[in-house]
Amino acid sequence: MSIFSPLAPKQDPPLDDLVNHEVEKKFSWSNLYRSSNMTFLLILTYIGSFFLFGLVALARGANPFGVFGAMLQSSVLNVGSIEQVILRAVPISLAALAVAVPARAGLVNVGGEGQLIMGAVAATGIGVAIGASVPGPIAWVAMAVAGAIAGAIWAGISGVLRTKMGANEAVTTLLMNFVANDVMLYLIYQPWRDKFSSGQPQSQPLAQSAQLPALFGSQLNLGVVIALVLAVVTWYLIRKSHWGFALRVVGGNQEAARRAGLPINKLLISSMLVGGSLAGLGGMLNLAGLEYQLVPGITASFGYVAFLASWLGRHDPIKVVVASLVFSAIALSGNGIQLGFGLDGSIVDVLLALIVMAPLFLSKTRKAAAK
Amino acid sequence: MRIGSKLRKIVGLVGASAISMIGLASCGSSSSASGTTTASATPATTVGFIMVGSRSDYGYNQAVYVASQTVAKDMSNVKVITADNIPENDSVTQTMQAMVNSGAKIIFATSYGYFPYAEKFAVSHPSITVLHQGGYLAGKFPPNFGTYWGEAFEPVSLGGMAAGSVTKSNKLGFVYAFPIPQTIQNIDAFELGALSVNPNAKTYVVNTSNWCDPLKQKEAATALLSQGVDVLTQHQDCQATVIGAAKAAGAYVVGYHYDASSLDPSGWLTGSVWNWAPVYTNIIKTVLSGHFAGSIYNTNWVGTFATNNNPLTLAPFGPAVTSTMSTKILAEEAKLKSGSSVFTGPIYCQDGSVLVPAGVTPTYAQINNFSCLVKGVVGTLPQS
Amino acid sequence: MNGIEQSLIGGVEGGTAILLPSLGELIGELSGVINLGTEGCMLAGALGAYAVAVTTGSALLGILGGIAAGAFFGLIHSYLSVYRKADQLASGLVVWFLALGLTSVFGTGYVNDSITPLTIISIPGLSKIPWIGPILFKHDILVYLSYALVVALVVILKKTRLGLLLRATGERPEVVGVAGNRPALVQLIAVTLGAGLAGIGGAQLSVGYVGNWFNDMTSGYGFIAVAVVLFASWKPARVMVGAYLFGVVLAASSVLQAHGIAVNQYLLDSLPYLATLIALIAVSKKGGSNAPEALTRALTDTT
Repeated sequence: MSIFSPLAPKQDPPLDDLVNHEVEKKFSWSNLYRSSNMTFLLILTYIGSFFLFGLVALARGANPFGVFGAMLQSSVLNVGSIEQVILRAVPISLAALAVAVPARAGLVNVGGEGQLIMGAVAATGIGVAIGASVPGPIAWVAMAVAGAIAGAIWAGISGVLRTKMGANEAVTTLLMNFVANDVMLYLIYQPWRDKFSSGQPQSQPLAQSAQLPALFGSQLNLGVVIALVLAVVTWYLIRKSHWGFALRVVGGNQEAARRAGLPINKLLISSMLVGGSLAGLGGMLNLAGLEYQLVPGITASFGYVAFLASWLGRHDPIKVVVASLVFSAIALSGNGIQLGFGLDGSIVDVLLALIVMAPLFLSKTRKAAAK
Repeated sequence: MRIGSKLRKIVGLVGASAISMIGLASCGSSSSASGTTTASATPATTVGFIMVGSRSDYGYNQAVYVASQTVAKDMSNVKVITADNIPENDSVTQTMQAMVNSGAKIIFATSYGYFPYAEKFAVSHPSITVLHQGGYLAGKFPPNFGTYWGEAFEPVSLGGMAAGSVTKSNKLGFVYAFPIPQTIQNIDAFELGALSVNPNAKTYVVNTSNWCDPLKQKEAATALLSQGVDVLTQHQDCQATVIGAAKAAGAYVVGYHYDASSLDPSGWLTGSVWNWAPVYTNIIKTVLSGHFAGSIYNTNWVGTFATNNNPLTLAPFGPAVTSTMSTKILAEEAKLKSGSSVFTGPIYCQDGSVLVPAGVTPTYAQINNFSCLVKGVVGTLPQS
Repeated sequence: MNGIEQSLIGGVEGGTAILLPSLGELIGELSGVINLGTEGCMLAGALGAYAVAVTTGSALLGILGGIAAGAFFGLIHSYLSVYRKADQLASGLVVWFLALGLTSVFGTGYVNDSITPLTIISIPGLSKIPWIGPILFKHDILVYLSYALVVALVVILKKTRLGLLLRATGERPEVVGVAGNRPALVQLIAVTLGAGLAGIGGAQLSVGYVGNWFNDMTSGYGFIAVAVVLFASWKPARVMVGAYLFGVVLAASSVLQAHGIAVNQYLLDSLPYLATLIALIAVSKKGGSNAPEALTRALTDTT
């Protein structure tokens, strides 16, 4: 057996046993008790997360209640901030869906960061080249297609390495993140650097017409709508389509899937391609809707936050999007803490970590309950 | 299940105390809400300052922070809020939004890379005055937006004189962030200043591609020092690392942004330090008077030696600068203030081509378009 | 001194801050646990070491602070992933974010505090050898510690029962359990110890190489350390080669520039990652792999 290929299953359960149990499970009182017990535990640990975070704030001399108030104030209690939360959630949620789709097939995609970057890079290439000379909508479509393809290629490489060479995709997607970052930096430090502007390492900005238009005079842009549509489509693909069903079978038991005649390698690679294209689109929407030009810190670790969001949402498209919105709001609330209490805004990374830690802490309990 | 019950006990404990906290939280938030109403009853104007790095970086950001605190102390009708470590991407928009939510009416976005976000924010928030530090807007200004800066190369050339006068190896080291017009002018001015007192002085340059990456700075400083460089200067936001490296190697240092002589009292020659408080104060006063639109600050405002309002000033001299030399440097400073230029020709680029013809004194606008390193600088700019 | 020699010196100096966490990560992965939080453990170590050095005035004591801080975050990761059966990748990233946040918040007061950094020790005799001397024998104490650790690890893994236990735990934890040992405890100790080494790597940056503390100062070294272990396919001596390879590449661009040669750093930077990918593919294709099997299992678990 080659390196990092999954272990052979000990026996072959019948096909209908392979489908995700949480979906197919029949109703019973004991199940309800078990799951509600789990939910109760989860809520308790989440409360514990906030409690610990409050202690950290307290240790730095800030009143925890004031801190929570400032966080709410700067993230969800006014329209301007809500808009910012939604805008930031666009790349995070799409990169999170890029984790969720392959996860259905049992693949681990840690490469959301790199796929976001490559999507933004490709969109910049096309957008700067043709943005000024074609009507807006054509530029948008061209950038979206380029971004999706770039993201898909970046993830697809890991898919092929996995199926043809047996190299573990968690590892290769992680490595590809750094390569992507270096590729982007190379481009904006030299060939793509905006010669007409400051000389800072940044690409030329997109022409006005190529930028995604604002929605109804708000800070939101068309990208938010596109992201929503993509989330719904992903939900449909995963939950309702034959393809989604086949992915789940492969993710459940490869040996049985093979016996059932499913094209396993094609399914695995397709899940990476679809995932990567989602992240690529996320990078494109962030660029065309918000940043307008490629700058060094354009992803700001969104890809890793997205991995945690998908994990927190248990790879369920709807929950994943909700988790992305929550993380986006937490990230934003750092501003309120810094302005109100003079603490470094990165303190919210602690809360993000503690929130994901809650279900991680309960993993064993959940795994035991699932048996 | 032993572990399960233990877990539940722990979780129960944590949960119970957390719940009691949440209960208290509701009281807490209501009291803080009343706090804001009392604050808004006083007619103070809130002014926000956003910094890209740490407010204690012994450099660019500390200079901004210190000036913002001076403003807070001196202007009783102003409330200052600050945010540091805000990266140069759309995060800065979110920080500006958060400042507006906290009541800010005037925002100083103080890092070079904030420019597009600051301008965009000004356009979408007409009631907020947004100032950008170091940028240059070529087109038409929104009535609530302005940029401000100081001609940095003027005091930097004086630092070059100090460096040229003490070097024994005739090799000076310059660690810079990005090849942008500001840093290119500074490198050129530094070398020209050194040449004016030491015709053999050469300036070796290394870029770090970052406004503050101590690791890269250390690598760059080490590389320069092992080339035989015995005076180091730099153009990043933070300067502790370069100064530390120079100190460890027994080399001299010319500072930038902030008076960091305390980090290496014996190796510190001099430096260029920002004194932003007068600029901030004038801008805030202009906004408060209601006459910002159309004022000099509603443009690309630049302080210079010639107009005697350059916010970048010469730092005090260290012990290694002889009194003869310091007299000479101060005399040169006086000359610059009475209208002479660092860049009076003839000045040649590295490849021997003429940058400024003999006898010609370029305007500030021309200097801002310089894109070549002058003869005497060793190293090339990353090509684009 | 020429550019190649300078790059190699810089490669060893900066590479040590990659080598130490890589060795730590190696120990953890051999026991069957990957730690993506290595970056966080390094950050914690960098701050822990710096804070202790500022408070006590001793950079050497600072190293102990670095170990403790790194190990603390390693303990969190190993407890979650071993005893709570949490997803290792998620748990690692969580530890990274936790450390990122905590070090930013608690490190504010230490930015630019001054310390006396670790002194450079020239080994008598050896440091005089042309080329090799300055490259290998003119460094701070942590560099020498890293040499010793590589040798010790090779010996322990090859010759001792301890090494056998570690490897066995990484391959077949069930079997180790049947034999009367506690595989979970072995993993917990291995990961915590490894994180302690990552902490020393952070210390090498803050109280050794750079002599300062800054937010997020490890800037990706911890992730490089994870890549190095893969590059080395779990062999300590190769880990050393990989760490120095990354170190040389990182140092080279400054050195080349100081010699007046223009380079684009980023093309250079991507090379070691590409080399790692190629190395991974090569060993995967050969089929003969020494990836710890428990690790393989953990990485293919998506729940």
